[in-house]
Amino acid sequence: MKHSGFPLLAASSLLLLTMGAHAETRPQYGGTLQISVREAPTTLDPADTAQQDTLASRNITKLIFETLVTTDDNDRISYGLATWWMFEAGGRSQSFQFRLRKNVIFHDGTTLSPAIAAASLRAANPSWKITSNTDSVIVECDPPCPYLPEELALPRNAIVKKSSDGKLSGTGPFHINEWHPGKKLLLGAEENYWGGSPFLHEIDIEFGKTFREQLVSLELGKSDLIQIPAEQSHRISTANVKLWRSAPLELIALVFGHDAQSAADKSLREALALCVDRASIGSVILQGSAQPDASVLPNWMTGYGFAFSTETDLARARQLRQEVRTAPLWAVSYDSADPIAGLLAERIALNARDAVLQLQPTKTAASDLHVAKIPLPSDPIMALATVATATGLPAPQINSGSAEDLYSAERELLATQKLIPLFHLPVVYATTKAVHGGLTRQDGMWNLADIWLSRQKTGSDRP
Amino acid sequence: MNFRRKLLTVFAFTVVLSVASVAFLVSTLTRRAFARNEDEQSASLMAQFQREFDAQGKEIARRIDAIAASDAVAHMAATIDQGSTGSAGFFDLAKSLAENYQLDFLEFVDGNGTIVSSAQWAAKFGYPETAFAELARLAGQPAFLKHEDLQDSSALGMFAVSTAQVADHPLYAIGGRRLDKDFLAVLELPADTRILLYQNPASTTTDGSLIDSSSRDASKPSNADKLAPLINATRGTGRGVTEIVHWSPDAADDEMFHAIPLQGKVNAQPLLGILLIGNSRRSYVELERRIRASALLVGGGGILLAILVSSWAAARVTRPVERLAHAAHEVAMGNWNTRVEVEGTDELSQLADAFNRMTTELLTQKERLVQTERVAAWRELARRLAHELKNPLFPLQLTVENLLRARQNSPDQFDEVFRESSTTLLAEISNLKAIIGRFSEFSKMPQPQWQSTDMNEVLRGIAQLFRAQLQARAAKPIECVLDLDAGLTTISADPELLHRALSNLVLNAMDAMPDGGTLTLRSHHSDNGARVEIADTGSGLTPEECERIFTPYYTSKQHGTGLGLAIVQSVVSDHRGTINVHSEPRRGTTFVIELPRNPELTQAVSA
Repeated sequence: MKHSGFPLLAASSLLLLTMGAHAETRPQYGGTLQISVREAPTTLDPADTAQQDTLASRNITKLIFETLVTTDDNDRISYGLATWWMFEAGGRSQSFQFRLRKNVIFHDGTTLSPAIAAASLRAANPSWKITSNTDSVIVECDPPCPYLPEELALPRNAIVKKSSDGKLSGTGPFHINEWHPGKKLLLGAEENYWGGSPFLHEIDIEFGKTFREQLVSLELGKSDLIQIPAEQSHRISTANVKLWRSAPLELIALVFGHDAQSAADKSLREALALCVDRASIGSVILQGSAQPDASVLPNWMTGYGFAFSTETDLARARQLRQEVRTAPLWAVSYDSADPIAGLLAERIALNARDAVLQLQPTKTAASDLHVAKIPLPSDPIMALATVATATGLPAPQINSGSAEDLYSAERELLATQKLIPLFHLPVVYATTKAVHGGLTRQDGMWNLADIWLSRQKTGSDRP
Repeated sequence: MNFRRKLLTVFAFTVVLSVASVAFLVSTLTRRAFARNEDEQSASLMAQFQREFDAQGKEIARRIDAIAASDAVAHMAATIDQGSTGSAGFFDLAKSLAENYQLDFLEFVDGNGTIVSSAQWAAKFGYPETAFAELARLAGQPAFLKHEDLQDSSALGMFAVSTAQVADHPLYAIGGRRLDKDFLAVLELPADTRILLYQNPASTTTDGSLIDSSSRDASKPSNADKLAPLINATRGTGRGVTEIVHWSPDAADDEMFHAIPLQGKVNAQPLLGILLIGNSRRSYVELERRIRASALLVGGGGILLAILVSSWAAARVTRPVERLAHAAHEVAMGNWNTRVEVEGTDELSQLADAFNRMTTELLTQKERLVQTERVAAWRELARRLAHELKNPLFPLQLTVENLLRARQNSPDQFDEVFRESSTTLLAEISNLKAIIGRFSEFSKMPQPQWQSTDMNEVLRGIAQLFRAQLQARAAKPIECVLDLDAGLTTISADPELLHRALSNLVLNAMDAMPDGGTLTLRSHHSDNGARVEIADTGSGLTPEECERIFTPYYTSKQHGTGLGLAIVQSVVSDHRGTINVHSEPRRGTTFVIELPRNPELTQAVSA
């Protein structure tokens, strides 16, 4: 008896301990998730191409609006607002018919209809021929667009309903409560969301915050979620903070403002590509957080990234430079709000000087080339298309989507010498310990509909 | 130039010379004083600059030492000591430390001379430090000047070096502050003085390389260009240079610049910068202008005073002289009674008194001479009368004595003798009457009847009158030549009297040429009126004859009365003219008559 009671007591204690811990991680409804971001969008319309395409804007779009199709955690196309689609090929054109999910309600109470969806898609893609019938939206492509579903999965093709007074309404898990362009966005949980009500009661997003402000806000508990520059992530103490890291899918590249004009211009561009010391930049400025790459798509996405050499070849760069009589002074611009971009520009200018090239870093928009950060979709075909769009090049023609096709398309893209890929950066988020659930996916997109806040955080916020 | 003007010129010249000399002297002394003051100010400023440099340099060295001794740098040094790959995490340490320690420049350089972290050029990590070879020597030394290359420019700064040593691996901290406008602003500048700093690496003086502590925008390229010669001279010589820089056409905008080279300790002490101390010349130029204006004012006043004084003095001196000159002129005109008022006892008064005595003496002598001449004339007249009367009286006496003798000795022949004697007596009496008539005629010379007279016409009339007589002497002819000036203007004269006078001269000429010759009647236009010449080629006159020829009753002829030329002179004199004779023996005689225009006389007659 003496010996049999002690194990029982120990088992009981362990059970209680396990139950308490499980209660702490069990999903809970309510609470306001405070988010601080550096970006300051002035519109929520995903089809507004005037606004810079950033990961933050894509994430916000996904909270309010939905696309006909989407990508799952494994980057495969899956159903969104469409529950079924059919592909038809006829002559030079192709057509896709998407049957819409029933009983989907916009935040303003309107039922999602094929006509509304078709109008939204037409606004985002004026070149497409889009029609609708009683339950479906039909998209005809001429020339053919075999990867239309992947494209429709992009946030910019989200279904948006615009009222006569310009108010936007979506079908996503959160609706707009307050919107102060460039400053603040307050989202409320959509109780009637077809996918089920999210755990969070509200999401409060503050825009235009520097990294330092975001960090202070996180440490003071005023923010639950911030985005951290990848190069700073190693400095964040994980004692009270969780870090969420995506795959390296933000492309850092030098993008020229115009196509190569002459053989001399091409030689100079090649010389510049050869003199950039990616290794030093990656290890020092980006603190090892970035993947030095000379390819457009990251290696994890294609598997052939290693085929593009990232080695510095200063001798060859100088030789190319010497073949050209005079090299113009190139102004290289960068986002003044991004301190790393400025450092990158300065370092590249210093590297270029070693090859007797002249680069002048500048914050002004008018420049010969700029340091671009292009967030890539997780789909390689869409990623190439995104890069082509961002650099002002025509979308590459990819037939089968095989690695060979992708490689050829990427080579073709790089042959234009419109851009010089440098790095692929992961997206890193930091949350407080109060945030539970899987915050982000491999492609860096938030999954806020499925996260919840711990009890002490929700207590005061529960209505 | 009259005496008054001469006096004025001397006075004015004296005044101007005096004022100019004083102005020049004052200007020279002022310029020297200003130059001395500028030199002293520049030296003072340079000393102040050096003191400030030393003070700030010490503070920089202290901060660099503190940075090198800080935990962060010790940690970095230790990390680097363990392996070069660890340095990547410190690439932005320099920037944060520079901000904390308020430094413009801060770099950490490892033992291999590689920049680990740079505050001023963050992207320069991994590149070699150009001054690495000097760092060990400069560590712990006072602050020094150094040029620092920046991303798109360069800057001049005060630097100090300190070392953080871990094992055998040194880590150098080199940092400092810009030598810029803020540094210059600390200096206490005297009024009208400014200080500029030129950074040497630039090939030309442009905006970026010239720092001006004042509000004047001398860094503008157009202004910087004006400093370029001074800067180039300093760069060329490596020594201080002083020059005046002209900013505008207004000299008051000029500045006297003292250029002082600044040298560094790194890389064989190159010329890193030039300190330019500018002293405005406005005060000097304005003072000089005031001196010049005062000199001009005083000079002008002096000249005005000179005019007044010289006028007064000249008046005092020249008025008696003018009176004397006027009196002398009057005397020359024949007013022998003219006298000059004598005032005072000075030299001019004595001169005037002497002049008065002279005129009195002259008048006395003239009266005496006239008296003498009158007596001589009377004697000559008496002699002539005696001579003239004696000639007919002697035949009269002989005839009467012959009659008396015939009455007594030959009464029968008395009638015949009486008849012959009566004829002789009547002839001689007639001769006496003729002599008396000529004398009477001379005493009754009529006054000229003024009218506009063409002397050429008068001469032509005379030539016409005597042509027959001249041609009658066929054996020994006299050629009459008329040499008349077509431009001769009319004069106021009495043509009848002139005709008579000139006829006398022609008769004399004919008498002078018994063997023939040439008679020339010539007219000329003169400034005063007309000049008439009657010339012959006869025997001529002796100088004594020329001297006495116009004396009444003097004649060189056997049967002349001596009144012909006296009449000519009388007529010419009545026409306010003059007559002169030029003669040479055996070559002929020329009478020259100058006749004034006398326009007032014709007008008076017309009126």
